[in-house]
Parts: sequence; C-alpha cells; structure tokens
Amino acid sequence: MSFLTNWADWMPTLLKGLLLSIEITAASLAIGLPLGLLLAVATSSPVKAVRWLCIALVEVGRGAPALVVLQLFYFGLPSTGLTVSSFVSAFCALGLTTAAFTSEILRAGLQAVPAGETEACAALGVTRMDTLRFVVAPQGLRIALPALMGFAVLIFQATSLCFTIAVPELLSQAYSIGSSTFQYLSVLSLAGLLYAAITVPASWLVARADRRMSRHLAHAT
Amino acid sequence: MEALNAVLVGVPLTLLVTAAAFAMGAVLGVPLVVGLRSERALARIPCRFLVDLLRGVPAIVWLFVIYFGVSIGAYRFAAVPAAIIGLGAISAAYLAEIYRGGISSVHAGQWEAAQALGVDGRTVFSRIVGPQALRVSIPSMASYLISLLKDSSIASTIGVTEIVFYTTQDARSGGGGLTVYIIAAITYTVLSIPLGLASRALYDSLRKKVSR
Amino acid sequence: MTSSQAAQNMVSLRGVSKKFGEKTIFSDIDLDVKTGEVMAVIGPSGAGKSTLLRCINLLEQPTAGRITVGGHTIDAGKPGSRSEVQALRRSAGMVFQHFNLFPHMNVLQNISFAQVRVLGRSRTEADKRSAELLDRVGLADFANAYPSRCSGGQQQRIAIARALAVDPEVMLFDEPTSALDPEVGLEVLAVMQELASAGMTMIIVTHEMSFARDVSDTLVVMADGRIIEQGDARAVMANPTHERTRTFLRAVVDR
Repeated sequence: MSFLTNWADWMPTLLKGLLLSIEITAASLAIGLPLGLLLAVATSSPVKAVRWLCIALVEVGRGAPALVVLQLFYFGLPSTGLTVSSFVSAFCALGLTTAAFTSEILRAGLQAVPAGETEACAALGVTRMDTLRFVVAPQGLRIALPALMGFAVLIFQATSLCFTIAVPELLSQAYSIGSSTFQYLSVLSLAGLLYAAITVPASWLVARADRRMSRHLAHAT
Repeated sequence: MEALNAVLVGVPLTLLVTAAAFAMGAVLGVPLVVGLRSERALARIPCRFLVDLLRGVPAIVWLFVIYFGVSIGAYRFAAVPAAIIGLGAISAAYLAEIYRGGISSVHAGQWEAAQALGVDGRTVFSRIVGPQALRVSIPSMASYLISLLKDSSIASTIGVTEIVFYTTQDARSGGGGLTVYIIAAITYTVLSIPLGLASRALYDSLRKKVSR
Repeated sequence: MTSSQAAQNMVSLRGVSKKFGEKTIFSDIDLDVKTGEVMAVIGPSGAGKSTLLRCINLLEQPTAGRITVGGHTIDAGKPGSRSEVQALRRSAGMVFQHFNLFPHMNVLQNISFAQVRVLGRSRTEADKRSAELLDRVGLADFANAYPSRCSGGQQQRIAIARALAVDPEVMLFDEPTSALDPEVGLEVLAVMQELASAGMTMIIVTHEMSFARDVSDTLVVMADGRIIEQGDARAVMANPTHERTRTFLRAVVDR
C-alpha cells in the first residue's frame, strides 16, 4: 500500500494544480459567456454582414479543436510580434471556444421563449432592446442554464490541455511528479480521480437541473 | 505553401485515429448500454461507474495513463494504439449514453407489443427496438463523431504524427506560426463538413423507411 | 368622404393587400372604423381575418396600402421609421388568442411593464394604474400571483388589462375566446362588453356569434380574402345579402 503514502505526499502539489485548473475555468467562462451572449444575439441580426460574420466566427470557433486554439495563442501569436504568457493564452483561447459554443446554446435558449410574448411586446410598442432585456433574455438564460452548466464541466476538463502550453495546472503537476519519480500510473491515476471528483458530482447536478427544467417547460405549455 | 503541406501530411493519421476510435466505441458501447439498463445492480452499478469515469476524466489524462502508465511486463503501448484505445474507450462511454437516449425514446408500446407476441427479450432488442433506437441516435452519433475528430488532436501530445503534431513542429521550427495554426483550424472545420452532410443524408434515408 | 367624417375615423384602411410569397391572402381592402364603434369581423377559417387585424398594428407588414390608426399613418410602400411604427402600436392595444402573458413576471409586473418602459411612467404610478385596471377586469386580488397559477379566463382578462394600461385609442382582439372553454369565455366577453359600453373603439375577430350580434355595432364578413358583407350587426345577421354569408351563418349559428 505504498502508493497511498505516495498519494498523500503528492496531494498538496496536485491540489495546487487543481486550484489553478478551476481558476482558468472560471476566467474562461467569465470572458466567454458574455461574448457568447453577444454572438447569440448578433447571429439573428437583421444586418446581413453582421450576421454572416458572426456565423463564420461561431463555426470556426466550434470547428477548431481547443488544443489548436490554445497553441495558436501561445506558439502562433509570437510570429506576429505579440507574445502572451501561458496563463493569458489559456483563458483567452478557452474563452473564445466558450464564446463559440455557448452562443449556440444561448441562441437555442432565446429561441425557446414563446414567440407570442415577443409579439405581445411589439403590440405594446416595447422596443426590441427592451423586449430582449426584460422578456426574452431572462427566460432564455434560465432555459439555457443546464446546457451551460454541462458546458462548464467540459471547459474544466479542457484545462488539462493547457499542459501543452506550460501552464502548471493539475495534469502538468502530475506529469512532472511522474517524470521525476517514474510512478506515472500512480500519480496519473490520482490526478484522474481528482478530475472525476469534480466532474462526476457536477454532471449529476447538471442532469438534475436538466430534468427540473424539462418538467418546468412541459408545465408552462 | 509549406505550411499547408505540413498540415495535410497529418490528415491520414487524424482520420485513422478518429475512425478506429469511433468504430471501437460504437461496438463496445452496446454491451455498456445493456449493462446500464440492466435490472441487476451487479451489472448496472459498475457500468455506471465506468461510464462516469470515462467521461469525467479528461481525454488527455486517459491517453497519458495508457501511454506512460501502462506496462504489462516489458510491453508498453505505442503511441497510435494508445490513442485509439484511449479515445475508443471514451467513445464507448459517450455512445453508450447516446444509445441509452435512443432506446428510451422508442415508444413503450413497441416493447409491449413484441413481448405480447411472445418474442424473447434479446430478439426484441436486436430486431425491433434496436433498429429504431439506432435511427434516432444517428444525429447525436454524427455530432459525436465530429467532436471526436477534434479530440483526435489530443493524440499529438503522446507523439502521434497527426495534424496538430506537424502543425506545432512547423510553427516552432520557422516563422509564420500563426498562419499554420489558422490553416490547421480551417482544415478541421472543413473535414467535419462531409460528416455533417453524410449524417443528414443517412438520417433522411432511414427516416423514409420508417412510417413515423 | 368629408373631412368631418374622416376626422371621426379611428382606424382607416385603404387598398390594403397582403401576400405571402405567391399566395395572396387578401387584396385591396378598404375599411373605416369610427371612434367608439365596436366592429366584429367574422368568416370561415383562412379568410384572412387575423392577418388583416395584425396588419392594423403592423405585426404583419401589408404588401400594399395605407393604414391609419388614431392619427398615425403608415404606407406599405415606404416602411415607417421604428418610432413611427411604435407610435402607431401605442395607439392600438392587442389581445391575443393565447394571451401571451410574461410567465416570469407576476400579474402586476405584467401590466406595469409597458407603462414604465414605453410611456415612461414611474413604477409607483404604473403599479397604481395596474391595480385600478385589475379591479376593472374583476381580478383585484391577483396582483402578486403568477400567470401560470391563473386560469385561462383570468389570464385573458389580465391580458386585456395589460393592453389597456398603455391607454390605447383602439383595442384589437384576435379570437380572444377561441382558446377558452365556453363558460370561461363568458367572463372575458363580460369584460369586453364593459369596455364597449365605456366607449372604446374595438375591432374583434371572433367566432362568438352571439357576442357579434349583441355587443357589436358593425359586422364585417370576410371570405376568400375579401370583405363580402358589411353593415349593422343585427341587420346583417338577420338578413344577409350574400349567399356565402348565409351559408356561413347557418353553419355557425345552428351549432
């Protein structure tokens, strides 16, 4: 059972990495969600140029693997003279990926709000901005919440890719312990369990929120 | 266009890893979903645990575990097999959940009618419910295939010489790093287009065969 | 039409047409509604009644013609600016078949919302007015309830209060009782009757023949995209001149 003492030794370092992973997740969501909402609204814009530009951005943002976007920022940007730290690359890249994916989730949520309510607002003379702000967005965001939570779990998992751009998050810490002790299987298993310790309960919460939301939506009709 | 060449050289392995992992997952997903739906806790709980673990731990961690961590005697996995096994196992978990959704969407009356006719459980599953569940699952499976295509990029971290491997090599060796990454991003987007179209076509042709 | 007659019209339609792609819903409709007049629009399904009503407050864009509501005019040819359209919509209140209340706001907020955002009233002023309107439609105790807790008839009465809150000059009703059980529909019709007696100009698309006959001043019969009959409500129903009207009335009234 020597691996347990090893695990106890490695825990502090791994937990430090885990904390960083969570911080990157939070930063990416903080950047990506507002951008995603903006894109969600812009992709239904009556101005064709705006609409097409945003659709293109969303398609590329969703089509490119997160790993590519991460490395684009860290290894690719310097060629233009702009060098960013690994930490900034991490949450910029993941923030953009978040924006692209959540724009689709939010768009679906906004569209799920019954069209009749938008008509009622129009009939009352309420401006489009006010309709979005007070009637459509509050309900749309609530509808989108379970899917957004599910996506947050995926972004947390994606922080493990930041290993490749030298961010000292959880996987990096595990790997460096592994390369110095050669106990790869042991330390990587522990890291895996730490990831699972967060994602599995989180996914269970998301599933519950999802069930409650579909019950609420069925009720409302 | 040296950058484009660098990217294109990696495409065959990207496609190989994606296809092999998907095939493995599509097949292994079946016993997994049977286990998930089993009434016996002895089968259901380990399957649930396995699926949650496979989906809850990031893919790159799984690949590292298999590539760096596993040594059976003197044997260690080579990069490509490790990538396929890792991504294949994860795919099995995701596809099992997709199958589960498809199966539960098949009208309960189908089960009841078949059982009332005296058809045994296994045949009900394979000949009546299964095909309908599969049809419903196809869009989700296609969607997963596209995301698997992107996840195949993770294989580069254990040395598989696919798209990202060559892209990074090209970026770090010369100047113009930004261009090659943009080309890589567009390549992945372009590769997923035929998948989306094929899935739409397959779904439509299957739908014609079923009356509802 | 003399200028004094024109001045009495709350709503005027001239040459209004609506097409969806190749399909013509109706063409070249002329209609005048005097201030204080209650007009019922009846006819078989698909005749274009709802579409016509929705053109009046520009929820549908007419393909041709001119719409005038309470002094605001919009020509189909030159689409008005956003603020002109909004001004026209403020003059016309609309009540929908499916109520369209805002489920995430309580009843009072539903009624106050447009008062605050469109008319610029203060929250307190708006809430006071909302409470008065709730009382008028017989739902004084419902201020803090949420729409999902209310019955269909209650929701529709709240919807009427919401439309009245922005002080419209004409009220448009798009099949207000079609989604309600008959007994429940009566409470809504009672509110509409009170509105009519108080002198509100009303245009109602409806299947409720007894309401059409007893409460409205004018009856307009639409079929196949045209107005085939128009006149005093009781007169038209007793002695329809058009064969199509006769067949329609027979089928409906005999139910």
